[in-house]
Amino acid sequence: MAEELIIETHGLVKRYGKLVAVNNLSLKVPRGAIYGFVGPNGAGKTTTMRILTTLITPTAGDAYVAGYSVVDYPREVRRAIGYMPDFFGVYDDMKVWEYLDFFAACYEIPERERPGLINDLLALVDLTHRRDDMVEKLSRGMKQRLSLARTLAHDPDVLILDEPASGLDPRARIEIRELLVEMARMGKTIFFSSHILADVAEICTHLGIIESGEIVAQGTVTDIRRQLMPAREILITLLDQVDAAKAALAQIAGVTGVHDMSDAHGRRRIRVDFTGDDEGVSQLLQTLSARGIPVVNFAEETHDLETVFMRATKGIVS
Amino acid sequence: MTAPAAKLGRGRRIGRWRPLTDNPVFIKELRGRMRGARAFVVLTFYLGLLGAFTGLMYLAVAESAMSVSGQSNVGEVGRTLFVSIVAIEMLLVAFIAPAFTAGAISSEREHQTFDLLRTTLLGPTSFVLGKLLSAMLYVLLLLLAAVPLQSIAFFFGGVAETEVILSFVILIVTALLFSTVGIFFSSRAHRTLSASVLTYTSVAFFTFGLPIMIGGVVLMFGFSINNVQSTTPQIALLYVLGAIICTNPAATALLTQYVLLNQQTIGTFTYTLSGGETLTLISPWIPFTLLYLVLTVVFFALAVRRVHQIEN
Repeated sequence: MAEELIIETHGLVKRYGKLVAVNNLSLKVPRGAIYGFVGPNGAGKTTTMRILTTLITPTAGDAYVAGYSVVDYPREVRRAIGYMPDFFGVYDDMKVWEYLDFFAACYEIPERERPGLINDLLALVDLTHRRDDMVEKLSRGMKQRLSLARTLAHDPDVLILDEPASGLDPRARIEIRELLVEMARMGKTIFFSSHILADVAEICTHLGIIESGEIVAQGTVTDIRRQLMPAREILITLLDQVDAAKAALAQIAGVTGVHDMSDAHGRRRIRVDFTGDDEGVSQLLQTLSARGIPVVNFAEETHDLETVFMRATKGIVS
Repeated sequence: MTAPAAKLGRGRRIGRWRPLTDNPVFIKELRGRMRGARAFVVLTFYLGLLGAFTGLMYLAVAESAMSVSGQSNVGEVGRTLFVSIVAIEMLLVAFIAPAFTAGAISSEREHQTFDLLRTTLLGPTSFVLGKLLSAMLYVLLLLLAAVPLQSIAFFFGGVAETEVILSFVILIVTALLFSTVGIFFSSRAHRTLSASVLTYTSVAFFTFGLPIMIGGVVLMFGFSINNVQSTTPQIALLYVLGAIICTNPAATALLTQYVLLNQQTIGTFTYTLSGGETLTLISPWIPFTLLYLVLTVVFFALAVRRVHQIEN
């Protein structure tokens, strides 16, 4: 069965004069996903989100949210999304509960339902004790949590969050991350952007990597890892017999390449590109031992998403 | 284009013209405006100014009314007091009303809350209406707060209830148009400062510039027409002058009062031409009110359209 896509774009283009902010972008965000939209600053993440939230119209292409075209059914799209921009919109003289009450009213939630809703939302983001404080007095992390509570006011299907963790201290960052996971558990689809992969890596189910307005890679996190990093890399440090080791390794099934590496502390190192599983990796070491080749160190280079990301985006923007 | 049928039931659309208590912007603005000392400081300052001015006027007028005839013409004192209070109220309203609205939409842009609001279900009409009416309600409060001062004039007599009501209508209509002009510029400008400058320039143009300009032109033509002993150009000139008066709140108020005092009529009055013919004219507050209301609707619609517009 095909996954139900809650956000879908086809050949989305946004041009500002000669500048192409978004170029032929096709997104696929399945319902229930935590989708990390990653790319360097200026890659077109915010522009894409502003199209999806009906704030700007695309130059070309289609975008659908919850089955509605953002151009033809903006009202239905607005009902389906909760949007948090990359800045916090503050009103000068407003209390925390009034802020939520105001936005709940803007979403046409009847007055009698609002007090209960506000209490629930404040409890969710752990701000109950700040209910009667002025919004401007909150810390940055608290404002961000209040913003998240606001996006949930009308119980939308999708949350579109632009850089939810940017500019926060590590603790606040973790709190936001936990909240996102909690919201996903509540059945929300979360589509959020970040230029820091570490934020994304731990909680995402899906990833889309964007650069210069184009999608470089997209899919589940494991898919992307496989797509961009087809081979595992194993670093072997040897005492001697380097050529013999290379010849032996090259014959093993699954080895796609054996490369010389720069020497470390006077020892010879080689890198083996390998597509096999863990058993295969242990076979490599056994083969070397069986042939009497002295191995000093044998380790798999673990690649975090950061490396994947650096590979995918060739630094065209930055 | 495919709209899942199941979703349509959930999104029951509520009419755009909801009661005011249901307008989130209206409630929010009122809460913000009346919070803290500011609203009361403005009100106190306004009443203090008005009171001090009334006191001074009383001293000046009482003195001269006594001295001229030897016996005090009390009605004259009352009327002068009333006219001066309305005049100063008009000045204050003309400059306070736009101050509340010139920042209404541009400040949402400056606080970066405009985009947030545009992703909610809040319609542009509700948004602009909430901003306008919350500002108008405060202006109404200022006007009502001055009613006791106005009624001092009743002690002296010489002022009828009709005058009070008509002056109130003219003041409210003036405040309404100037507030809406403020909203209009606020919807176009990116900064509150430029919205304020544009608003006050137009308000000054309405109140001072326009009458001076057209008045000058008419005077120049007027001299040449007076030499012609025919009634048609005289009538035409009267209509033009009348039309000019109707664009200006102060001129409208003065002429309306003049008509009330001399002919005791509200709706129409007669004017005797130099040839002895009499001409029936409409009291200026009627066309003035209609003109200002129409302009209000126009500026309101333009502001709503601008808010509704999606960036390209």
